[in-house]
Amino acid sequence: MIRRKRSSGMIGLNLTSMIDVVFLLLVYFMVATEFKTAEESFPMDVPLRQGGDTLSLDNEPLVILVESAGSGSNDIRVRLEGPWQPIASLQELSKFLRSNRVSSLANGGLFAPSHPMLIKPTKETRWEHAVSAYNIVVDAQYTNILLDEPS
Amino acid sequence: MIRRGKPSSAIHANMTPMIDVTFLLIVFFVVVSQIVDREAVSMDLPKPDRSVAGVPEETNCVVVNIVPSEEGEIAGFVVGGHSLGVNALGELTEIVRIRMQGGATDVHLRADRSTKYTHIHQTIEAIRNVGTTPRLQLVVSGEER
Repeated sequence: MIRRKRSSGMIGLNLTSMIDVVFLLLVYFMVATEFKTAEESFPMDVPLRQGGDTLSLDNEPLVILVESAGSGSNDIRVRLEGPWQPIASLQELSKFLRSNRVSSLANGGLFAPSHPMLIKPTKETRWEHAVSAYNIVVDAQYTNILLDEPS
Repeated sequence: MIRRGKPSSAIHANMTPMIDVTFLLIVFFVVVSQIVDREAVSMDLPKPDRSVAGVPEETNCVVVNIVPSEEGEIAGFVVGGHSLGVNALGELTEIVRIRMQGGATDVHLRADRSTKYTHIHQTIEAIRNVGTTPRLQLVVSGEER
């Protein structure tokens, strides 16, 4: 029986250039990739214009005036328009809104959860302060919240 | 003169696992790079204390970015990937209207935490001019979990 001798020279693939390209691609994607940061949102219904520019609300809204006192996240001044007790901070606003909400679990309360809450920042108010006030009202479980034109 | 011969057996590294891992990394980055939201402009979003904001639903939406400038002022808008100037509120309304007619239901409003409210309000007014009733989503920074 005659055995054929295997050829001694194996066919070799030159991997160097492929590895170069692959590493280039890897570096490109590592540099170019930007992960999306986690974002959340507050839903707000935008009322349609009905004749004029002013918002028409069925009930007299509770107007929350918001002002920035500085650039820090806690440098915020809030007060209520009308004959309400003075509010000094967001914590007090939260307490006021919670204690005056009509609830099935407790007697009393002045505002139903659907009562219109009008947040009225000034022209210079920082957006984060307006959003902080919005957050407090949402946290107090009110559902009809609007951002008004700046005072 | 005697010359020493080169050793006949050269040391070869086994490249197969390295190429496997490298290709896996490339596939990972190719896939992940598609996840990036191309409509969102990088900015410092508001982050309220003890935020009760929710994760927005994955709906057909149009993203309105208010591009921040210095000291609470704005440099313009990026709406649905289109860059607009500071005074192009009419164009902003038109783009939102077109996107709403195309099936978008929500408008995501993204603004820097330092932006003055007057700019936010004029943007909301421009969105109101669309004429339909979009649901506005006020975008804030998410909680780090």
